[in-house]
Amino acid sequence: MKKRLIAIGTCLMALALVFAACSGGAGRENETGPQPSAAPTSSTSTSTGEVVTLRFMGWEVSPLETESVKKGLEMFMQQNPNIRVEYTTLPTGTEYVAKMQTMILGGEEPDVFFLQSDYYRDFVKRGYLLNLDEYIQRDFSTDDLIDSAILLSTVDGSFYGIESCIVAPVLFYNKAIFDKANMPYPPSDPAQAWTWEEFVDVAKKLTIKNGDRVEQYGVYGLEDYYQTIALIMSNGGNWFNEDYTASAANTPEVREVLQKIYDLRVVDGASPEARLLQNAGMNASQMLQTGRIAMLVTGSWALQELANMDFEVGVAVLPKFKEAVTHGQAHLHVASKNTKHPEEAWKLIKFLSSEDYQLQNVRAGLWLPNRKSLYTEEGIRKWLTEGVHPEDFEKLIPYFLSSKVYPYAMLPSQRIQEETTAQLDAFFYGGLALDTALQNIETAVNAVLAEMR
Amino acid sequence: MHTIRKLLYKDGTWAFLMLLPNLLGFLVFMVFPVAATFAISFARWELPADIEFAGLANYRRLFADGVFAKVFWNTVYFTAVSVPVGIVLSLFLAIMLDRKLRFVRFYRAAFFIPVISSMVAIAVIWQWIYNPEFGLLNYVLSWFGIRGPTWLTSTTWAMIAVIMTAVWKNLGFNMLIFLAGLQSIPESYYEAAAIDGARWWARFRHITVPLLAPTTFFVTVMAVINSFQVFDIVYLMTQGGPARSTSVLVYYIYQNAFQFFDMGYASAVAYVLFFVVLFLTLLQFLRQKRISIFY
Repeated sequence: MKKRLIAIGTCLMALALVFAACSGGAGRENETGPQPSAAPTSSTSTSTGEVVTLRFMGWEVSPLETESVKKGLEMFMQQNPNIRVEYTTLPTGTEYVAKMQTMILGGEEPDVFFLQSDYYRDFVKRGYLLNLDEYIQRDFSTDDLIDSAILLSTVDGSFYGIESCIVAPVLFYNKAIFDKANMPYPPSDPAQAWTWEEFVDVAKKLTIKNGDRVEQYGVYGLEDYYQTIALIMSNGGNWFNEDYTASAANTPEVREVLQKIYDLRVVDGASPEARLLQNAGMNASQMLQTGRIAMLVTGSWALQELANMDFEVGVAVLPKFKEAVTHGQAHLHVASKNTKHPEEAWKLIKFLSSEDYQLQNVRAGLWLPNRKSLYTEEGIRKWLTEGVHPEDFEKLIPYFLSSKVYPYAMLPSQRIQEETTAQLDAFFYGGLALDTALQNIETAVNAVLAEMR
Repeated sequence: MHTIRKLLYKDGTWAFLMLLPNLLGFLVFMVFPVAATFAISFARWELPADIEFAGLANYRRLFADGVFAKVFWNTVYFTAVSVPVGIVLSLFLAIMLDRKLRFVRFYRAAFFIPVISSMVAIAVIWQWIYNPEFGLLNYVLSWFGIRGPTWLTSTTWAMIAVIMTAVWKNLGFNMLIFLAGLQSIPESYYEAAAIDGARWWARFRHITVPLLAPTTFFVTVMAVINSFQVFDIVYLMTQGGPARSTSVLVYYIYQNAFQFFDMGYASAVAYVLFFVVLFLTLLQFLRQKRISIFY
């Protein structure tokens, strides 16, 4: 009993490190098991002798995403017969970052991996990533990348990864519900974006009650900092000041937006509590499909999944406060600093950043391009896909092109998101006064930023 | 040569040699980390940066840290509710199942199953039960015209929900210890009391409760210690949310150590927990000595 006590109570850290290392090893064993995507190796090992095996890790938003990645990797392995790529997915979100860091510290890191833009600068600061400058200078042109992609991928002028694409929060809707209610679809053209009041009006009309029970909610998905920030930007606000040296949470612009999002659920009853329905084993896309919600605010990546479901989905711009804006960013493909095969790792990153690979995922609806050439009239023809991109999708393109920089991607700290989420939860679900929540965010964020300098 | 032979014939030498593998493991995996954690708690160590001495900075930070105060309070709250409720319920169960019932073994096993079930499976099932719209619990409440709360996403109810699951899971273990305690009370006391005309309550109050006291004390201290170390259930069901309303000490240690990789601060928090648990353990030891004198 005393043994167990000490073990759990105090050796937690050291033991967990050991466990983490073990589980990292176990993960590798799994990979060497049955792996259908490793097919092309048989023909290759004879031609060049030595085959280098790269460990590549990412996450899975939907099984379709993993399918896309594996399809791409097969193409890569055919082009590079001496490289074999083993792809593994980890749980997403903060768990991904925690697991990745544990693997890095335990010397079990993959050679190449996905990294959320939110944590990119933190990883660079901690020295986990391979500097790609010399490789990029040698054989990669960044001229075609849109400005925000370069801004996001470089830290003090150096590349440690390349942004995969962009994704942006948008408004998805179930067309059948609007048809049935005989109401016009939400606008895709940013110039015609709904004002917040118009949006609330529609959401209220599409909320259908049966006695005490709500059968259909107007909209879902706003009470999350990823989505919320787009509306705050639309109101001329931001979480941070312009050079990211101080919090700008405690401002009228932020306050107005948060209060209105809160009212939409609590006063108007037009939105279910966030996370509430996910527990039922139904994700947001399925809720939209089955008509539990009429509109869904989420990242543009959901289009791949939604387009594959059996209903007609539409994509529109978010409602606006002052101007119609969204923000753009996406995960980066990065290599570990300690990789034994930097040359091959670079080849993989270069492939993952190529137009071919990007096009494949853009056509599937998962990504939006971050290359200028894919936003020209000719370029757009290359990827706009019938059956995936709804009719009016083209009208959204200026919206994505003018998307603002995602502020969390510009800061090297994980504590900021943690604190912001905790305070927002306390406001949205815990009855904490908005002013107090914003003051708390301001104080905590400024403390973190001060410590960083 | 002579001395070595002499040593080989001593029992103590052999005992030591046989214990050595275990002892080594204990040193490497228990004693060393405990000592290292203590040292690290006085350092600033944000992996992968180098470790540097920081004096009492981590401990000073503890006192100013509102989040630490919150998670400490949450842990105390979890303990203060889950322990008494758990003990009363498991004692009740033990008494119910300490009779010649039909299928009594089956019932005992049934109540013990949650103890040996995987916490992951339990967490998933209880998340469904707590689902506000489709969950079993709110459905049952609706029979009585009660509109149940949103449980795991409510800052007031999430901790209660976690506590209910924790109590349910540990019920069987405490029940088993109570059963053993009850069965060690000689039947003759009850017979004597019955002859004197004592009713059920009097027998319970004057025979069961005092004779069960050592067991109750042991169960209480163990439950308090375990409650202070609660982690898996919180990690699996709520991840400390919403708004840190279910975040507890060990979860905070985990976050600092393996999310922020701030090992120094995590170690300091770990040592606060260590001293709390140490205090409770000493209490148990002292009391055990006294009890063994009395009985």
